[in-house]
Amino acid sequence: MGEVAVLGLGMHPWGKFPEKPLNDICRVAVEAALADANIRWRDIEAVAAASSRFSGGKGWGLNGNDIVEDMGSTGLPVYNMSAGCAAGANAFSVGYTMVKSGVHDVVLVVGGEKMPKGFIQTSGLEDPTDPEYLRQRCVGLPGPGFWALLTKQRMAQHGTTEEDLAAVCVKAHEIGTHNENARFRQLFTLEDVLNSNMVNDPLRLYEICPVSDGAAAIVICSEEYARRKTSHPIFVASTAVATARFDDGLPRGLACVPGTEGAHHSEARIAVAKALEGAGIGPKELDLVELQDNTVYYELAFPEEWGMCEPGESESLLHAGETRPNGRMPINPSGGFLSFGEATTAQGIFQICEVGWQLRGECGPRQVPGAQIGMAQSIGLGGNGTAVVLKR
Amino acid sequence: MTQAETVLSVEGLFAQTASGPRLLGSSCARCKSAYFPRSESCHNPDCSDPEMQDAQFGPYGRLWSVTTQGYQPPAPVITQEPYSPYAVGFIDLDDQPLRVVSRLRTDSPDEVKVGCRVKLVLAPLGLDDEGREVVSWQFEPMENDE
Repeated sequence: MGEVAVLGLGMHPWGKFPEKPLNDICRVAVEAALADANIRWRDIEAVAAASSRFSGGKGWGLNGNDIVEDMGSTGLPVYNMSAGCAAGANAFSVGYTMVKSGVHDVVLVVGGEKMPKGFIQTSGLEDPTDPEYLRQRCVGLPGPGFWALLTKQRMAQHGTTEEDLAAVCVKAHEIGTHNENARFRQLFTLEDVLNSNMVNDPLRLYEICPVSDGAAAIVICSEEYARRKTSHPIFVASTAVATARFDDGLPRGLACVPGTEGAHHSEARIAVAKALEGAGIGPKELDLVELQDNTVYYELAFPEEWGMCEPGESESLLHAGETRPNGRMPINPSGGFLSFGEATTAQGIFQICEVGWQLRGECGPRQVPGAQIGMAQSIGLGGNGTAVVLKR
Repeated sequence: MTQAETVLSVEGLFAQTASGPRLLGSSCARCKSAYFPRSESCHNPDCSDPEMQDAQFGPYGRLWSVTTQGYQPPAPVITQEPYSPYAVGFIDLDDQPLRVVSRLRTDSPDEVKVGCRVKLVLAPLGLDDEGREVVSWQFEPMENDE
């Protein structure tokens, strides 16, 4: 079987667009990806879309159908993939599998989202068998509190300080200012971050990514098709989808067994390990990683959990500048979720776009020099995890 | 002021027993995995022949991590009025393979340290929309921390 190529990348900038319909936001991303691929809408043979519960999709998560109706109803197959915040990369994985297996030659992967205000809320289900309802009703632990518990554990285990946490945010925004698609493009000093409101001790307001609106789209195709369109295609080295293990010790409802493995988010560790195995490389051979930094904690914990560096080493790598685009372990050269905010189901596709642009060498001041292979990683509600590796 | 009517946060999750407050869950007799709330099935993929039994958990444990809820979360979370930040933690129970999510009963949430000893109590979270006191399980940092 031939390789699968990433032929077209497109985004609508991240922000808040209360007056702009979701279809208009998605259309900008889709048209940009089509133009980048140098193809027309009629050339798309199938759509793999991220399914949203927050916006569009006729209330049923039929977001791919909205896009097809808007772009032109050619009768093509649509796959709406639901995986919480991992939906975008989950859809990418499905699209990849269809091209890889020869079912379709050219597939559009797309995600678009308009988020309600404030931190992401629970489903609204009032069902005493629903773990998320129970957790809020009986205890009261919204998302930022969950991240804070992980962060506090890390501080106890590795001696991470509040200044370390703030430094992740400062670095993210320094890079994010160079990304025209990012929503928050202002520079922050360490003092700015440490003076922002405490949301959930030890996490402060600027250290937690807010919600955004945005859309991203990718055209993927067979190697043969790509060779007719470009002399420098980017290829998909591997994709992986995983779910959490029973024994990772991270309570996703009211309780869990305490856990035996080092990684708290086993769904992320498993997806990354599978993707690296599929790509035939080790964790230290990645030229860059776009990881899901809902909060600063993840930029410190994930590289260690995946074997990119040693446990407890992330802070020193951060302070030495090694996680910057020109360092030896570049993390989130896009500016990350901290610079973008999270347009949940579109987020995984934006990450893959960034990896693609990096491998093409099109990223200007935030470019990772000579990037040949990079990974995008996401996690979502329900213990969903994904990883995608692209290569030159 | 009259005593407020009391309701449980959710029925069937905890109880005051002869030996004190306990969480009501399940345990697999085969692989010893513990579940809270009750589970009809064993989620351990390596457990070949599950045998589920009712189990009671608590009262002692150690705090795995803790945070203070700095802002008032929306419904269905029950809080004090006016809002007063509360502590939440993950607790590893003594001698039972269970890590539990819980609010902490303390007047100084910012003082509670990771690794401290805690004890299960049943205590009010706050009032619901109908003015009833909502009681749930909570863990209380122990005086004689060891």
